[in-house]
Amino acid sequence: MFIRNFLNQSMIDRRRFLIGSSLGVGALAASGGQWPAAAASGYSLASSIRSLSNAFHAAWNKGSEAFATSVGEHYQALVTEGNSEKGLTDIKALLAKVGDKTILAVDPNDSPDARPIVEAVAAAKGRVVTVWNKPDDLHPWDFGDNYVAHLSFSGVPAGEQTAKALFDTFGGEGGIVALGGIPSNVSAIQRKAGLQKALAANSKIKLLDFQDADWDSTKATNIVAAWLTRFGGDIKGVWAANDSMAVGALEALRAEGLAGKVLVSGTDGTKDAVQAIKNKEMAATVDWDPLWIGGITLSLGYHAATGKFKPSDESRAHREFYGTGALITQADVEDYWKKHVEATPTIDWNDLWGRLSGQITYN
Amino acid sequence: MIAPTKFRLASAMPVLVLVGLCVVISLIEPRFLSLDNLIRIAAASTAPLMLALGVTFVIIMGSIDLSVEGAMAFSSAVLAAGVANAANTGLNLGLAALPLVVLGTALFGALVGFIHVFLKVPSFMASLGMSFIGLGMATVLLGGERVVITDPYVRALTLTRVLDLPIAIYVAAIMFLAAWVIENHTIFGRHVYALGGAEHLVVASGVNANRVRVLAFALSGFFIGVGSILASARLGASSVSIGSGQLFTAISAIVVGGTALSGGSGGVASTLVGVLIVMVLNNGMVIVGLPTFVQQGVLGVMIIIAVLLNQRNRVLPVVK
Repeated sequence: MFIRNFLNQSMIDRRRFLIGSSLGVGALAASGGQWPAAAASGYSLASSIRSLSNAFHAAWNKGSEAFATSVGEHYQALVTEGNSEKGLTDIKALLAKVGDKTILAVDPNDSPDARPIVEAVAAAKGRVVTVWNKPDDLHPWDFGDNYVAHLSFSGVPAGEQTAKALFDTFGGEGGIVALGGIPSNVSAIQRKAGLQKALAANSKIKLLDFQDADWDSTKATNIVAAWLTRFGGDIKGVWAANDSMAVGALEALRAEGLAGKVLVSGTDGTKDAVQAIKNKEMAATVDWDPLWIGGITLSLGYHAATGKFKPSDESRAHREFYGTGALITQADVEDYWKKHVEATPTIDWNDLWGRLSGQITYN
Repeated sequence: MIAPTKFRLASAMPVLVLVGLCVVISLIEPRFLSLDNLIRIAAASTAPLMLALGVTFVIIMGSIDLSVEGAMAFSSAVLAAGVANAANTGLNLGLAALPLVVLGTALFGALVGFIHVFLKVPSFMASLGMSFIGLGMATVLLGGERVVITDPYVRALTLTRVLDLPIAIYVAAIMFLAAWVIENHTIFGRHVYALGGAEHLVVASGVNANRVRVLAFALSGFFIGVGSILASARLGASSVSIGSGQLFTAISAIVVGGTALSGGSGGVASTLVGVLIVMVLNNGMVIVGLPTFVQQGVLGVMIIIAVLLNQRNRVLPVVK
């Protein structure tokens, strides 16, 4: 019993690093973490995600496991490895096996993938919740109760809030440089739009240059190094569309002895970025809480399947909605660290709608 | 005697391109030539140079090593396990971890060579397959996180300066010299060239070609290991994606430098020029202020031009 509790705790802890003591746990987690359910009623829960090799989806998987454990149902991770075909094939195989007992949370590899996935689940009378990507004209309410909900996050407030926190670190007057993600990604576009909103509202801030570093740390380091040549001391802050690039930018500054003098902002809430905020080297980041995403999406599907609520009776704001990203700044990082890094937050999986911030809007 | 002149001009072309680039960029933005910026370019070039040096040996031999990204991820994860890290799970071996990491990556490379030679798998598939295995192992070891490296010795590679230059630059210079000596002053180096030129002649003259091949892949792994340490030291962290995009940088630098993908020609000095061309271009385009999409186009055009220049006067019967 002790071992099982230890394993459960390890799986739920999103911050566990696998080298060393918990190597065996890592192997278990990677294989989908299946063990006999306590009071299974035959539902089969699954999360279809890109891979387990990035912190975001690894934490998502742990959230899914945590929810499945809490209701004593079988859970498995379906990994697409960035391959849309594999994603769909795995889902169809699951549907063929468990049919209407399927409860699926899916991060479609690409927007168009969402349609065949939703249609396949609806045809098998299972339940599906999509996250991040779907075509604009695909809506849960067109599929009765089977397509339970779509969850996304808007990058606009994230880009805007982190930019404002960055501006505050140097008194709101001077030049900044900005690093964007892969330019065609929706989140890169939205976060950049957020930055531009913040710039429009602060006329004393000048955007010296904007370059796409494609979410990549190494590219970010090299670009920031070149910027130091071009702009030198005119750079008062570096805005980055995600934490990988923010950390890369920070290291370029550190190599020149500028870490902590010129601050950086990012988005995603990765552990090293939060640590850098704690060290007063970064200004802000936004945490999407993938642990919550992984659990709550399955919880929505599960509660719809078990009849706790009927999706088609819910308002559209409960079918297509934005989650809430949590802004972390130097002012509140200590509190965040205690609650989310040193401890694993307990999440109430029955609170289905508590973290919504509005119905999704389309342009 | 026109042909020899053309030949010499073609082999000097990458150097002329490098000088030309520096002149053009510094005319537009004189600060490009400032000492600070040259050091920045050198620091940025250290890791890509190591990767490209290793792969150069394999390419001269007529094979290809596509395992760069996976080998780097694997090696970076081993590094995180061996030194002090922010997750407090490292073995904290300090400097002693570095030879272990390099040795481990050399074994990784040797395994690619074994699969290629003894299981008769084409080198591009063997190395690509091993690349995915490396990524998988790194994923399990790191749990998908970017793990911050706190070991002061590793960090010193980037952060400590001797005579104004980060230590990483000295390490890269020593490694480059070592590669140059291996290429020009060892029997192994000669065999690598011979294999790329005419393998059946080499085998007929009694050389153990299999051994040379495995050794070349192991050497590639060795240099990738050093490159991975330098890249991890620069990022201050170990990550599965530490090598993302580096395969393209390494191969394009080798080609731009003048080493032919068909094998048998080129060398580590050409690779140094190639890496500098790519890094000067990356740095210069940001300094000049070109938008990103133009930058990617310029790099692509440079690679095609380099390949055209490398064909020299040779008539190729078939191109594939």
